[in-house]
Amino acid sequence: MMKKVEDLNLLYHDAFKTKRKCKSNSLKAPIHLDDEEDIDQNSKEALLSHFVDECQKQVQGIKTDDEIPLWGLRVFGNQKSFPTSVLPEIQSCKLLQSFVNNDLNSGVELSVEKGQVFLEGLLINGWLARLALTGAHVEKSIARWVFNLMLYSSNEELRAAACDFWCSILPLKDEVDRNPIRIDWFPGFPELKGALEAYGFLLDSSVDFSSLAAKNIANPDSEGPPQNIRFWVKFLIACCQARYVNILIESQISTIISSSVAEKFLGVIICLFLERRLQGLSFLLYECMLSIISVFADEEWSTCCEKLAKSLARRTKKDLNCLRLVECISGVNPRSKQLRSELAFQILVICFNSKLMDIRNSRLLISINVKEKDCDFLLMYIYLALTENWLFSNPLMEEKPLILEIWGVYLRNCSCQITSTDMRSYASKVRNKASYLLQSTHRKDKE
Amino acid sequence: MERSRGIKNNNNNSSRGIEENIMAILDASGVKEARDADDDRLAFLEAVRAAFLVVEAGSPPPRKIFEAIFEILRDGTSLELTMASFQLLTELDKHYPNMNLSNSDTSELTGGRGSESIADRETWSPFALGPESAHSEREATSKNSADPIDSSGFSFLIQNIAQAPEEMKCLKYVKKSLVDMLLFKYLVNVLERDFFHRNIIHKETRNWFLLRESLLSMLLGSRRVSYKNLVKDCLSIISRCSHQTDVGLHSIPSLERSSDRVVHDVEVAPAVALLELQKETCVAVQNLFVLNMELDKAKKLAETQGCTSRADGVRTPVIEIIVDELAYNEDLLFPFLQAFSESRWKIEIILQYFWKYLPKPSVRTRRSRNTSVEDETFNAVLRSFSSDSSVRSIIKKISAETAQLLLAHSFQVRDFPLVFSYIKYNPIKNTLTNSRAQVVLITVTDSCGQIRLINSSNYKLQLHCMHEIWLSNIP
Repeated sequence: MMKKVEDLNLLYHDAFKTKRKCKSNSLKAPIHLDDEEDIDQNSKEALLSHFVDECQKQVQGIKTDDEIPLWGLRVFGNQKSFPTSVLPEIQSCKLLQSFVNNDLNSGVELSVEKGQVFLEGLLINGWLARLALTGAHVEKSIARWVFNLMLYSSNEELRAAACDFWCSILPLKDEVDRNPIRIDWFPGFPELKGALEAYGFLLDSSVDFSSLAAKNIANPDSEGPPQNIRFWVKFLIACCQARYVNILIESQISTIISSSVAEKFLGVIICLFLERRLQGLSFLLYECMLSIISVFADEEWSTCCEKLAKSLARRTKKDLNCLRLVECISGVNPRSKQLRSELAFQILVICFNSKLMDIRNSRLLISINVKEKDCDFLLMYIYLALTENWLFSNPLMEEKPLILEIWGVYLRNCSCQITSTDMRSYASKVRNKASYLLQSTHRKDKE
Repeated sequence: MERSRGIKNNNNNSSRGIEENIMAILDASGVKEARDADDDRLAFLEAVRAAFLVVEAGSPPPRKIFEAIFEILRDGTSLELTMASFQLLTELDKHYPNMNLSNSDTSELTGGRGSESIADRETWSPFALGPESAHSEREATSKNSADPIDSSGFSFLIQNIAQAPEEMKCLKYVKKSLVDMLLFKYLVNVLERDFFHRNIIHKETRNWFLLRESLLSMLLGSRRVSYKNLVKDCLSIISRCSHQTDVGLHSIPSLERSSDRVVHDVEVAPAVALLELQKETCVAVQNLFVLNMELDKAKKLAETQGCTSRADGVRTPVIEIIVDELAYNEDLLFPFLQAFSESRWKIEIILQYFWKYLPKPSVRTRRSRNTSVEDETFNAVLRSFSSDSSVRSIIKKISAETAQLLLAHSFQVRDFPLVFSYIKYNPIKNTLTNSRAQVVLITVTDSCGQIRLINSSNYKLQLHCMHEIWLSNIP
């Protein structure tokens, strides 16, 4: 790298000299316009343009050497084979039987064999959900069949209709006057988890993020996730938003999402934010995250929040991905603020060695403070952003003036000790961020 | 006294300070690469989030900041920026519902100009409507993407979405249409919120002026918009939405298998979002229609009360345009009924469709105490099907297929008690025999479960069955 810069310097000087010559020539040019001069000039121009090209190549070489990393992980690998959506038991479901046995069936000639096609039609046109709601009952085989279509069908119309079916039979929290509905089968954690695995999801709660990069070569033809992931997320949203007390699943009142399941899926959703290919669905993921967060009872939330933050912090690498993890938590309500702050804190704790684990105090910041200036600026940037999120997403921090004071010192160091001419990558980013934060904290103090 | 003024000044200064400080992040002075500029924009969005959502700021971000976010959304330089700016705008709007309701209310009551207090000079709006925008005769193309959208810009946007190429073969198109769809979704949300707040007060005060000054009303009232074309474009968006095909990770041929991981992701990510956003767009169109119909209804009410003036202009109610379009273009009917789920207006549209072809009975005279006008008109439609001769004449005007489709959807929307009565009374046995309710269900679904039934050999049987049931249920 250093060598390249030197080379570049040389080239530049050469080019500069030539250019100066050219310039002086061109000044004379209008006066002495003979052929020889012209040729000379042309060759010089050619030389100059050659140098410029050369320079450009070199510059590009440097850039790739020094490329700033992007956040992002391949969260999905190869898809596994999907369970078949053809369920033989669907032919014996009572609903279908009653259609076939109807007196008027002679006019329609529906047979059990054609049953699945018939039911698909009912599903797409919304009649199946209507039947379920009016009858206040969903048979086991129907429930399973629709669930499988939603998560595994490659037919957009079918899987979307299947998702609509589930969303419309699950009563929303504000629909108080709706009759209870009996659902004979309801997908639980294993089914939802199984679908994720079939899509090729790699970041199980026991998997370290760093192990992912190594085995990322996926077969492009079977690379996950399929479009069904949208419905997976939507289904989760519906479950979280449903008013569970009124649903009778398998003849007893049950909760749809327990807090332990919610905790696991919250971790999954946060990990999905790391997948660049799912960026376009981020509005769904945001909604899902908020819905899951709202499932917990107040007393459960704090423990879950800490547990989840610790687990994510332990697994993530200290690169831009850990920032992405923190920043994908929207912070629009108290719980998500808490999670944001907690996660930032836990990552910091791990960054600074586990012996500081229990001391939520200023030593953490001092240790950032003593970092040498020629340290990794990217890392410094990450620390800066993490600390910011830890401190400012947490209302309790206002009561800890010492930490805020040290934070101020740290910011001043970053913003004053890094010169604006420092061209190392991320140096200017650290400086800019620090001076921005310094400005806004000052302003706060004044108020 | 002195002190409190000092504090106030300080507050003012500090909010301006925050603005300057945040805006400085975007300052592009100095040599920069595209990547750096994008990073700065992301940092800007994140800083706004931190300062106005995560930390309780008390007041919404100043106009300049909104403009900058809006510009980032419309520029659509990268998917990450597009999504982040859309999300931020949506969340800011939720966090700071920017209508000052009590203000508009009181100014209304005192006879002041409600529009001024609502469209506060300080609060930002993505729309530039009303008289001052009429003066700006700039071309749509030369507009800065930070500028708010005016009425022609809005119809242009809808047109773009409606006419986007069916097959997204090129990344550029995909990205462009993603930005368009997100922008549309956001704008409809803004219209909806504005209208919703005004409508609440309108329902109490019956003050038409409030709704006339709503963003929606000003937008549609503009002379620079061809209202009819706008509705047509909306309808074609809905019909396109119905034949979506799977845009999987690998179904875009030109994007396939880029060897570079990063490039590959950049190309695939927008394609993954496309299907979902098309659906969302469809929902947004429906919401726009519903708002529009609510507005028309309020206007009609105001007219009967003599509250309108010449300034209100004349505009064909949207429902008439929709029904005309549906009647004119039969291919639209199925996707439209399939996509439109708002039940109250759906039944209205269906009834209007029928009234185009059926003799309208004098409903009011026969209205009994317990049924609404809507119920009465619906029953009247059913009655028209009650004799062989009238059915024959209907089928001549509307095809049997269309008639059934309309009926089927009206049953579904209204939860017509007949259709499912057997289940209600017999939930455990699940026996369907001898249940008249079943007949209707079969009538509207064929052996493939499709609503479109008719096959000429047996449609008479079904009409006969329907006929019988209706007769027994019509009071």
